[in-house]
Amino acid sequence: MGAAAIVLVAGGFALGPHPGNLHNGLIAVSFTAVGLYVAGRRPGHREALLFVAVGAAHAVMFAGRQYGLHAGPLPGASWIGWFGIWPLPLVLVLVGAAVMCFPAGRLPSPGWRPVVAVLAAVGFVLSAVSALWPVEYARVGLVAGPPFRLAGFPAADAFYSVARPAGYLLFQLVWVACVVVRVRRARGDEARQLRWFLYAATVSAAVMVAGLAVWRSPLPGTLTAPLLAVAAGAAILRHRLYDIDPVINKSLVVGAMAAVVTVGYAVIVVGAGRLVDGHGTLLSLVATGVVAVAFQPVRERVQRLADRLVYGRRTTPYEALSRLSAHLTAPAGGLLDGICATVADAVGAREVVLWTGPADDLRAVAIWPPGTPLPGEHNPPDEPGTPGGPAVAPVVHDGRFQGALTVTRAPGETMSVAEQRVLGDLAAQAGLVLELRATAQRLVAAGDAARRRLERDLHDGAQQRLVTVAMELGAVVRLATTSGAAEVAERADGVRRQLLEATAELREMARGLHPAVLTQDGLEAAVGFLADRSALPVRLSLAVPRRLPAEVEATAYFVVSEGLTNAARHSGAATVTVEVTLDGAGLLVEVCDDGEGAAVVRAGSGLEGLADRLATLDARLTVESGPAGTRLRTVIPCG
Amino acid sequence: MLADDAVLFREGLARILTDVGFTVTGQARDGAELLGLVRADPPDVTVIDLRMPPGFSAEGIDTAAAIRREAPEVGLMLLSQYVEAHHALRLMTDFDGGVGYLLKDRVSDLAAFGADLRKVAHGQTVVDADLVARLVARRRERDPLTTLTGRERAVLALMAQGLSNAAVAADLHLAAKTVEAYVTSIFTKLGLVQHEREHRRVLAVLKFLRA
Repeated sequence: MGAAAIVLVAGGFALGPHPGNLHNGLIAVSFTAVGLYVAGRRPGHREALLFVAVGAAHAVMFAGRQYGLHAGPLPGASWIGWFGIWPLPLVLVLVGAAVMCFPAGRLPSPGWRPVVAVLAAVGFVLSAVSALWPVEYARVGLVAGPPFRLAGFPAADAFYSVARPAGYLLFQLVWVACVVVRVRRARGDEARQLRWFLYAATVSAAVMVAGLAVWRSPLPGTLTAPLLAVAAGAAILRHRLYDIDPVINKSLVVGAMAAVVTVGYAVIVVGAGRLVDGHGTLLSLVATGVVAVAFQPVRERVQRLADRLVYGRRTTPYEALSRLSAHLTAPAGGLLDGICATVADAVGAREVVLWTGPADDLRAVAIWPPGTPLPGEHNPPDEPGTPGGPAVAPVVHDGRFQGALTVTRAPGETMSVAEQRVLGDLAAQAGLVLELRATAQRLVAAGDAARRRLERDLHDGAQQRLVTVAMELGAVVRLATTSGAAEVAERADGVRRQLLEATAELREMARGLHPAVLTQDGLEAAVGFLADRSALPVRLSLAVPRRLPAEVEATAYFVVSEGLTNAARHSGAATVTVEVTLDGAGLLVEVCDDGEGAAVVRAGSGLEGLADRLATLDARLTVESGPAGTRLRTVIPCG
Repeated sequence: MLADDAVLFREGLARILTDVGFTVTGQARDGAELLGLVRADPPDVTVIDLRMPPGFSAEGIDTAAAIRREAPEVGLMLLSQYVEAHHALRLMTDFDGGVGYLLKDRVSDLAAFGADLRKVAHGQTVVDADLVARLVARRRERDPLTTLTGRERAVLALMAQGLSNAAVAADLHLAAKTVEAYVTSIFTKLGLVQHEREHRRVLAVLKFLRA
């Protein structure tokens, strides 16, 4: 298809320059090329196929016309030229379909299909008339005449001279209506894709108008035809999609200011020149002064206008705050993501990151858009006001620094005063959330510390004392034996055994509080111990090559412990699989059994406690329980 | 020679060891102090608390390793309020005999503890019975231990504690020949390689039980 188009267009150009036919060649080349390129990147993309069809149709028309326009009539010029004439209305329908289906290759809604059918019918009638009678020949100026002559030309010509402008007007109205509907409905990326296309169309139209006005020639406008195809292709492939807004914004401001300066200068110099004759230099100076003084205020107005045109109305502060409250009632874990999403909505950001920690050691905890990898562990955001850097809003609660929100926007975009205010308000709300989160973390950490301390106290205190007493009792047993008091020896030994049983119970209690092996030897050893003690066979998969923060290790340990206990108690499982793996995303903890599945997160249950505990570490507990078994799973972020 | 940060326990232990015929040549509060005492006058055997200052973690094992490097002949008996399989494996892997690992409770049975201590002093291996029982009782998929007879399991548990064939025979009131036959049968059934050295045998069994 591409090769055929190239042959047709190259052959056409070889037949000589015909400015009146140039646009067909440019459209043929650019649309075929862009369509094929996009189809190569996105196989089967419907809009790409439409572009190729538009390009191919223009290639056929272009070659036909070039052939028919050749000064010395070529062999078969009548028939070949004829192919450059009559398809035009149908080709326009095709172009219209491509425009209406942009960017995804689909109409805005199924309701538009009958409209396209009407356009096709009109195009078909116009093309049929143009094919049968030479009603278009005078306009195109082919050297070669029509290939055949039918009776009734005057009637056909009269019909065509009315039907053609009416039909074309209908075409244009439908396209515009369709695009307007789409633009009004479009959100997010689709809106940006449309803006790319409309921007190119506007530039093309402006060049066309300027060309007609200045040089009285459509040629400059014609030359911009490929711009449309390229812009549309870029938009479909989303290439630099986010750069379109500032480009349009800047173009509008620069264009408007150029017009203001030119008109202002001209009005003063020419208009006032009439009144005060002969002071040209002075007037020029005055004009320059006036324009210079007026420039900045006018520019600000124009900038605001351009902002409103390009970016539309952003979420108002009230909407943003009420949306945040909705996020606050969402299940824990998504809370911080919710803050980022709200900020992104409110100020139209490209990326929003929430950081927590002390000012000199911030850590990213949430990011928008969702799914983006979090920035490096300790990567404090740039200082506010760094050129090109993200905007930074400190998150403060009750006078205490809690973290920061960084907002990255498209290059060149600056934040309006209102947007800065919304960002500040949201940062204040985020402060409350972070404070609550920090409080929960402190509570868990304090609980853990208390348990660790208790275990240590038991180990060094009661346990140690009991062991020492048992040892002394052992000495008594020995003494009684050697001195022949067999009964005393026997009873003392009985007491010693009971004491050891009590010691063993105390040891188990201490271990339940906080296993010393976890503090001393880490997660792998502690989980290994759990597996040794499990009432069910455990398949272990451990890969934790380094020590992790105490709260992470303790939480992971309790997840495995609870999982094993549940599996043994409720599920009737034959085996349990435990996986504890540290990778880039964090610490994965998974406990699966092959039982009947009865685990649910009930209020007051061990699982609920775990879920709460995990939430303080920004991790979520997922519990999947079904007839094939139960799976507890969580990923604890730990840098 | 003894090392424990709990004075009462250490003093008591020194006294009862003296009662059962040992000569306590030195007492230390932590690993560093013990190492100094060992350097000055190497004893036959040291009794070391696993969890000692400064970190209260597994300093005892580090101290044991240091002693083994400087005075390879000194027996090392580690005591702890918890016995952990991974510590036992490390002691069996890193030290080639002459080590013991017991729950602190064991010292109250003076005769047994004294015997264990002498074994360690003579280069043999001692592993706590509680730990071995826990590992033998451990649930496994397709458990190869189920192919063992009750007697074979009993022999395996004693082997894992570091007992020699003769000691196992004495413990179970069996003939030495009978125990040898059991041991061969156990190694065949579990697919383990027989080791001449008793210590290697303990390591193989512990590794198997932990796997």
